[in-house]
Amino acid sequence: MQQLNPSEISEIIKQRIDSLEVSSEARNEGTIVSVSDGIIRIHGLADVMYGEMIEFDGGIYGMALNLERDSVGAIILGDYQSLAEGQKARCTGRILEVPVGPELEGRVVDALGNPIDGKGPVNAKLTDALEKVAPGVISRQSVDQPVQIGLKAIDAMVPIGRGQRELIIGDRQIGKTAIAVDAIINQKDSGIKCIYVAIGQKASSIAAVVRKLEEHGAMEHTIVVAATASDPAAMQFLAPFGGCTMGEYYRDRGQDALIIYDDLTKQAWAYRQISLLLRRPPGREAYPGDVFYLHARLLERAARVNADYVEKFTKGEVKGKTGSLTALPVIETQAGDVSAFVPTNVISITDGQIFLEASMFNAGVRPAMNAGVSVSRVGGAAQTKIVKKLSGGIRTALAQYRELAAFSQFASDLDEATKAQLDHGERVTELMKQKQYAPQSVAEMALMIYAADNKFLSEVPVSKIGDFESALLSYMKAEHGDLLEQINKTGDWNDDIQASFEAALKKFSSTQTW
Amino acid sequence: MAELSTLARPYAKAAFEYAVDAADLKGWSDSLKAASVVSQEEKVVQLLGAPGYTSEQQATNTIEICGDAINEKAQGFLRVLAENKRLGLLPQISKQFEALKANREKTIDITVVSAVQLNDVQKNKLASALSAKLEREVNMQASVDVGLIGGAVVRAGDTVIDGSIRGKLSKLAQVLHS
Repeated sequence: MQQLNPSEISEIIKQRIDSLEVSSEARNEGTIVSVSDGIIRIHGLADVMYGEMIEFDGGIYGMALNLERDSVGAIILGDYQSLAEGQKARCTGRILEVPVGPELEGRVVDALGNPIDGKGPVNAKLTDALEKVAPGVISRQSVDQPVQIGLKAIDAMVPIGRGQRELIIGDRQIGKTAIAVDAIINQKDSGIKCIYVAIGQKASSIAAVVRKLEEHGAMEHTIVVAATASDPAAMQFLAPFGGCTMGEYYRDRGQDALIIYDDLTKQAWAYRQISLLLRRPPGREAYPGDVFYLHARLLERAARVNADYVEKFTKGEVKGKTGSLTALPVIETQAGDVSAFVPTNVISITDGQIFLEASMFNAGVRPAMNAGVSVSRVGGAAQTKIVKKLSGGIRTALAQYRELAAFSQFASDLDEATKAQLDHGERVTELMKQKQYAPQSVAEMALMIYAADNKFLSEVPVSKIGDFESALLSYMKAEHGDLLEQINKTGDWNDDIQASFEAALKKFSSTQTW
Repeated sequence: MAELSTLARPYAKAAFEYAVDAADLKGWSDSLKAASVVSQEEKVVQLLGAPGYTSEQQATNTIEICGDAINEKAQGFLRVLAENKRLGLLPQISKQFEALKANREKTIDITVVSAVQLNDVQKNKLASALSAKLEREVNMQASVDVGLIGGAVVRAGDTVIDGSIRGKLSKLAQVLHS
């Protein structure tokens, strides 16, 4: 048991007594009519506002969601076992808020920002509203800086920019979370703060993610917001909004943040449950009519804002800096069905998608990204110069390979050109494979893509490409460390770099040490 | 509860508007109160619920039981209710009628619960202060609850003004807990 620190505790008590305002303000009161499955109905409360917090006996809070003529429908935040019909409910005049700020980094919190990692109170200095309106048109700036995910396949073919919303979509157990975790690990030195919002997941999965992040030293710049499968639907519905508010703290102060919603399908389920219990009319797949708006308003808050906005927000404290919140929402499909209601909604909201395919995953292509249907609608402008210059060939090589591979299964004799194309495609596919928790830097990626484009891989057996890659990278680190560093710093591509790449690759290939 | 008041609303509104036009708010109010009491009587509930009665008979029976307590027009109102099988709504209708009446007459029922018995001077002072604040003439019901420790709690409809020591203590407890 911890030692009590008497002076500290009486200090806190003094502060809290000081913050108490004892005034007999008139307030609105109602009576609980029914309590059911996390939803309550209240008679009275004529002055309650939409989304306002409602206080019940025993310090339990709720949030008003349905304002009807004779009653108010509310969700309960937390445990509702002690509530009963006939108890009083009071208006508070406040809306839901979560703590924000750098104090949260490295912590695991619930949907309302209460710590659940056993490391004591968060002590955040600021709180902010859970539901906010996204920045308007005037405050925005186009996306032109990259977020490096560290996966060759993604950074080369579906580049993501700061402020972009890129969907990760695929069946269960296919590596969606793996991409998200890799993205967080790769932000260790980029200065991008990360927020991982886990919605409706097993507590054990969340614990595993947190442990992996800690192992790779990525927890220091990360906030984990967790609403597990056993938390009430209200918490699962609110968790993404809470996480988003924590991310907006950085965006509005001229910094960059990355938020991962893992996954929004479960949030839609939680919202569907709440809506049906509130007796809102069900629509397609029994989702309520505003399930599109649910995700649209959430993802719209992920944005790049211009320096004027940041300056105005910070009242002149931060000048000449743009802020961004990049969102990577995750959607789980059932048997690859992207035409279900929620997947189509989120596909249309986001600025592109990374589509993961079960057949590729089972064939050992990991990350199992289908390069044909995965797109990034705005990230191209943000891609590092060197990767952009070099990666053009990868997409076409893969596209041609896919077409020919299907065709070549029927043909026994193939001409030389076709064979060469198949060969090249096979090697590029092999090269796009990457181990988990091993993100690559821009220079490493550029080098490997250059090697593939310039036929340095054609001599290497397909099964040996992984070995070739790791041997080449360690050779480069040992012999040309400064070159890699320079590329990582500037991201430039010029004749000098090309010459150095060419020379290094030639020398390495001639040694045959893989 | 919510559903019943929704159903009762159009009837209460119709009765109220008719009473205003006929300048007989008091008469209608008394009639509805009487009918409401009658309809809640156990035997009447049984009668209304019993099979084999047409709505016409139900209306006639109810009107007979009410006797002179309801006026002629209110009898017609009961027939309409019976025709639509809404006689069970009478308590709700009466309640809503009273609320509409109070709103029109700019009066409000308030209850004051205090820790100690209020004397007349205090009551008058409180009533005049409240009628100034609520911009209504107040009908005050006073009661005593020693559990408040000190001060008083005023209830006017949904609005609650909690000036009791117990309320302040529970606020303090909450601040200390948070």
